[in-house]
Amino acid sequence: MSGGILGAPYRAVRRRVIGPVKSVLRVTAQVRKELIQVRRRPGAFFSLILGPFLIMAVFGLGYTGVRRPLETVIVIPAALQLPSDPTYYQTLAGPGINIRGVVDDPTQARTDLARQQLDLIIIAPPDAADRFRSGEQAEIAIEMNSVDPVNAAYSAFLAQTLNQRINEEIITRAVAEGQAYLLQHGEDEVSQIPPEVIAKPTTVAVANLAPSTPSVVEFAAPAALALMLQHMAVTLTALSFVRERHSGALELFRVSPVTSFELVLGKYLGLGLVSTIIAVISGVLLVGVLGVPLLGNVWLVVAVIALLVVSSLGIGLIISVVSDSERQAVQLALLLLLASVFFSGFVLPVQEFRQGVQLAAYALPVTHGIRLLQDLMLRGDTAALLQLGLLTLQAVAFFMLTVVLLRRTLRGA
Amino acid sequence: MLDGVSRRFGEVVAVDGVSLMAGSGRILGLIGPSGSGKTTTIRLILGALAPDRGRVRVLGEDPRFFSRRTRERIGYMPQLFVLYPDLTARENIDMMAALFGLLPGRRRQRIIEVLKLVDLWEARNRLAHDMSGGMQRRLELACALVHEPSLLVLDEPTAGIDPLLRNRVWEELHRLRSAGVTIVVTTQYVTEAEYCDAVALISEGRLVAHAPPGDLRRRALGGDVIEVGTRGPFDIRALGPIDGVVAIRQTGPARFLVVAVDAGLASPKVDDAVEAAGGNIEYSREYRPNFDEVFTALVTADRQHTQPEDGAAPGGPPPPIMRPR
Repeated sequence: MSGGILGAPYRAVRRRVIGPVKSVLRVTAQVRKELIQVRRRPGAFFSLILGPFLIMAVFGLGYTGVRRPLETVIVIPAALQLPSDPTYYQTLAGPGINIRGVVDDPTQARTDLARQQLDLIIIAPPDAADRFRSGEQAEIAIEMNSVDPVNAAYSAFLAQTLNQRINEEIITRAVAEGQAYLLQHGEDEVSQIPPEVIAKPTTVAVANLAPSTPSVVEFAAPAALALMLQHMAVTLTALSFVRERHSGALELFRVSPVTSFELVLGKYLGLGLVSTIIAVISGVLLVGVLGVPLLGNVWLVVAVIALLVVSSLGIGLIISVVSDSERQAVQLALLLLLASVFFSGFVLPVQEFRQGVQLAAYALPVTHGIRLLQDLMLRGDTAALLQLGLLTLQAVAFFMLTVVLLRRTLRGA
Repeated sequence: MLDGVSRRFGEVVAVDGVSLMAGSGRILGLIGPSGSGKTTTIRLILGALAPDRGRVRVLGEDPRFFSRRTRERIGYMPQLFVLYPDLTARENIDMMAALFGLLPGRRRQRIIEVLKLVDLWEARNRLAHDMSGGMQRRLELACALVHEPSLLVLDEPTAGIDPLLRNRVWEELHRLRSAGVTIVVTTQYVTEAEYCDAVALISEGRLVAHAPPGDLRRRALGGDVIEVGTRGPFDIRALGPIDGVVAIRQTGPARFLVVAVDAGLASPKVDDAVEAAGGNIEYSREYRPNFDEVFTALVTADRQHTQPEDGAAPGGPPPPIMRPR
């Protein structure tokens, strides 16, 4: 068959067929190697699955989502003749504030505040009645001792709420007294509107139209899954080429007919398969055990996870190619994790950053992963189609970049 | 193959103007002391390094731009263990065979063959990191051989291998040579130069000598060497000039070495001269010094040649085994 008149065309066709077959063999050899290596370290594999799940489980079981009420002392100067019963003010303040006592001198309260044994001091103005009569606003002083900006804002918010309640109470009482006065003096046309309605003409009826109302833990779970998957994929791959460079295996690759494309594809498929298995098991545990809602299309969720894993593998491989040592690769992987925690929307909303930082945040696959997984799992759909496109683009771009960088490494001697 | 090739690493000249030629189907041995530039030369041949100067051609191509088909024809065994320690011997060979494009059927057959060849069949399922250094060398050799390359580049293949297996490795290399495989091999065992068709002696990045082993021996000694023994003491000063003799050196009361342009022609003349001077020949035979002596002589001569102002190189290298009379 190979000789005679058919010889040359046969050889040409054979070459055309054999070339891709050999490429497939080279890629599958890499995949097999990666899977064997993972199989030989079952402990590492299960810690990758169980570790994040256990952390989430402990978080879910241990986190109540209820803030400790702020320990508060109210200072009412004796001249004001206002109630001194803490229960009265506790009713006004609500559950966010715990009225520890009502005093007429702030000295001891300020000492306790300085020692951080107290969260808030609310001091009523001694000249409140005079100022009111002269048509001026009186000022309630609120003192706190907090370096935590979130805590400070929360304290100020609760203090403002308390102030509003006090104002409402004052108005209610004034209206009631006014109405009683008019009735006593024979006025029949006194308004029948209750004093509470005059003080608080509106109330609020809150309706959350979101398809699910997850708890804090359930809300955080998709974001944690996305962050965990990115970090796992990056960690799995970050050491990959560094180790092969240091062991000398890269020297063999340089000499062998394997191309950088085949090497990178082999790594992607091998480590991607491992990551996908871990992602699926983690997802099943989150939904099945922790009860995190999964309202969206399962296959769309799987697709987002796959894109997130592929993009993250790319970042890991880029770290691996550019790192001179295992230590540097680990450091870069940890820096990426830190950046992801801060900028991805895991802790703070991306929209709260300046525009330049937002652009950097969108360079992280986990930023898109968090948004898309939260949408798909908790809302059942997503309006962030642009982010889906960006994640896809990143997956392709990181793959190409890894191929180019590895080619330079292999041929750049 | 290599034509005036140089390669620097910073200020260090690793390879300095080396020109080499490895004939097809022959064994070229690169011999030199540790750090002499052998491995750099190997890496230049394989395209893992680019030369700063000069030209390298291997299998008709510039190694930096080897085609894929050409790469499939090359087998390489690095000096250090570079395979995967958490893979078994069989898995490592299988991986390398696949990388070099061996199709599955042939691959299975070749894996068995090379495992048996390097005596690792019994250890085929053992993880590489559980193997001794010698076994790891044999595993690397198996990986270099598995795809039946037509050019085999081996960086110290017999280092750390016991003498019996070392002989088997050389037997296999000779078998491969008979099958038309070109082999470039470095070795730290100077005596293994005997097994090569041509030897390139490298010292301090320079090519000291490049010739078949016999020619190197002649060059080191200044010609053929005849070892002469007499019955009773004999002083070589009693001998006059002998036609075709380059030098004579007394090595014992009744023993001396004669360096001749041609041992066959000079031997009867030496016998006659000794008898004429009152000596009684007991034996007269060709002397074959081992390659340690040849290596030492050539390197020392090269150092004296390249450092004429200073004479011998620092450290006082041993003198050549023969000096002109």
